[in-house]
Amino acid sequence: MKYETVIGLEVHVELATESKIFCSCSAHSFGAEPNSHVCPACCGMPGMLPVVNRRVVDFGMKAGMMLNCDINRVTTFDKKSYYYPDLPGAYQTTQWFAPVAVNGRVDIETSAGKKSVRIKQIHMEEDAGKLVHDISEGTTHVDFNRTSVPLIEIVSQPDLSSAEEVEAYLVRLRTLLRYAKVAECEMAHGTMRCDVNLSVRPAGSDVLGVRTEMKNMNSIEAIKRAIEFETARHIDALENGTEVLVQETRRWDDAKGKSYAMRNKETAGDYRYFPDPNVMPVVIDDAWYEAIQNSVPEFPEVKREKYIALGLTEYDAERISESIMLCECFEEASEACGNPKEVVNWITSDVMRILNAKKMTYEMLNLDNQALGKLISLTGDGKISRANSKKILSAMFDDRSIDPEAYAEANDMLIGEQNDDMILDVVKKVIEADPKSVNDFKNGKEKALMALFGKCMKELKGNCDPQQLKVILLECING
Amino acid sequence: MEREALRRLCLLNQLSLTDTQKDDVISFFAERDADTATLDAIDTEHVERMVHVMPILTVVREDGACQPFSREDLQAGAPETDEGYWCVPRVLE
Repeated sequence: MKYETVIGLEVHVELATESKIFCSCSAHSFGAEPNSHVCPACCGMPGMLPVVNRRVVDFGMKAGMMLNCDINRVTTFDKKSYYYPDLPGAYQTTQWFAPVAVNGRVDIETSAGKKSVRIKQIHMEEDAGKLVHDISEGTTHVDFNRTSVPLIEIVSQPDLSSAEEVEAYLVRLRTLLRYAKVAECEMAHGTMRCDVNLSVRPAGSDVLGVRTEMKNMNSIEAIKRAIEFETARHIDALENGTEVLVQETRRWDDAKGKSYAMRNKETAGDYRYFPDPNVMPVVIDDAWYEAIQNSVPEFPEVKREKYIALGLTEYDAERISESIMLCECFEEASEACGNPKEVVNWITSDVMRILNAKKMTYEMLNLDNQALGKLISLTGDGKISRANSKKILSAMFDDRSIDPEAYAEANDMLIGEQNDDMILDVVKKVIEADPKSVNDFKNGKEKALMALFGKCMKELKGNCDPQQLKVILLECING
Repeated sequence: MEREALRRLCLLNQLSLTDTQKDDVISFFAERDADTATLDAIDTEHVERMVHVMPILTVVREDGACQPFSREDLQAGAPETDEGYWCVPRVLE
C-alpha cells in the first residue's frame, strides 16, 4: 500500500525586542548570570501585574502581514496551565481565544512544484525559563532570565507532506520574518524552534492517522532526519504491526537517529485555557494598523525583479535579495553613488569577504550604507586607490561613524593632484634598486613589471593614480 | 468534572487527593455546572458583548529595558537558593 505523510508545524520565534513581553526586564540574557534579568513580575510573585510591550504587538501584527494573515483588531491574552517551575505562576500567558493573526498562507517551492501552506494562527506568548538538573542531586535549579521573553508561535495547518517541503517552509518563514526585522530566527541560537506534528495515512485517504509530536527541534537538518525516521516508524507500525501507534509527544535523539516516547500528548482540555483577567484586551485601531502595514517591506521576489530591471544578473539579484540587510545596503549605497552595478560588485566581493572573516551573518551587517556609496564613488573617481579603499571599508565595519573621505585624508590615503616629478623620483629610485626586474621585463616577463609597479605603489603609500604611475614607469623602463 | 478527568489533572499537577476530597471536588464542579446552566438560560441576545469586565483596553508600554530589582532582594524570601538559582525539588520529565 502507498502512504502519505501529513505534517503540521508549530514554530516558536523569539521576537527581537529590547525587553520582555510583560515587564521591562531585558530580553537579552545570553551568557548572563542566572536570574540577573528578572523582576517580581516575571518571577511570578503575587500581586504583580503584567503590562504588554507594545512592540511585541507591532511585531506580531507585522509577522501576520508578512504571512498573509488576517489581523484580529481585538486581540486578547489567556492563561494556559503549565506544570513545571520554569514558569513560576504555574501558567503561561499566551493567546487562545483571539490570537493576533489568523488564516494566513506561506508559499513554497520544492522539486514537487509550488504549494501554499495555510497558516492557522500566529499567537503571542511568553517563553519559559530554564531548568538545570545536573548541579546537585535531588534539586532542580531554576533560572528565570528567559521567562517572559516574547515569542510568537506560528501554527500551520497540516499541509506539508515531506521533509523537503518542511525545509522549504522553514527557510521561507525565516526569510520573511528576517525581512520584517521582527526576529533573528537563528535555530542554532534557539531563537527559532519547531514542534513537528506528524501522522501517516493511506495515500488518498481523507482520514488523519495517529499523530505524534516532536518538540523543540532546533536544526533543519535534524528536523528532516526526524521526519524521515518517524514516517518510516509509522509505516512500519501500520504495515507490519511492529507497535501500536499512540498520540504522544516524542523526543528526537539526533545522535542516535531515533525518536523516543516522552509523554502522552496533552490535549487542549489539559491546558485549561481561560482569559487572563490581568492583561487587558488590546484593541488595534486604524492608525496603529496602518502604521504597521506601511512598515511591511517588499517581498524578496519583488526586490529580485526590481534589481534585474536595474541591470543586475539573475544570480546577483538572487544573492542580494536573500537578506533585507543586503537589500538595504545595495539600495542606499546605489542611491548615494548612482552606480548599482559597481555597488553589487563591492557587496558580493569585499563586503561579503569581511562578513565571512568576521563570522558575521548578513543580518549583522551594520554599515553606514550611504558612506559605502561615497567610498565607491571616491574609488571610482580615482581619489582613493582600490587597496586603500579596502582598508577603509574594513575600518567602516568597526566604526559606522567613519566618513570615508575624512578617514582617507586623515590617514594620508587621499590621492591628490599628483606631481609627475614626484612620481618620477619614486620610479627612478625603484628602478635603480631593482635592475633585475627591469631586465626581466625587457626580456618578456610581464610579471616583473607588476613587481616594480607594486614597489612604486608601496613607496607612494597607495596615493597615486595607477594609470598615471604605469605610464611613467613604462616610459622610464623603455627609456 | 468526571472522575477520570480529575485523576488526570491530579497527575499533571502532582496532587494527591483522598476519595472524599475527590468527591468534594466533583460535587463542587457539578454545582458550578448548574450555575452555568442558570446563566445560559438568560436571554442575552440584545446585550452588547464585552471583551473584559473592566472598561479598560490596550494597556501597553513602550519597549525599553531596565533592571530596578537586585537578585538578592528578589531571592530574600526563597526557601533555597544556590549560586543565583532558585532551588526546587528535582523535576525531570
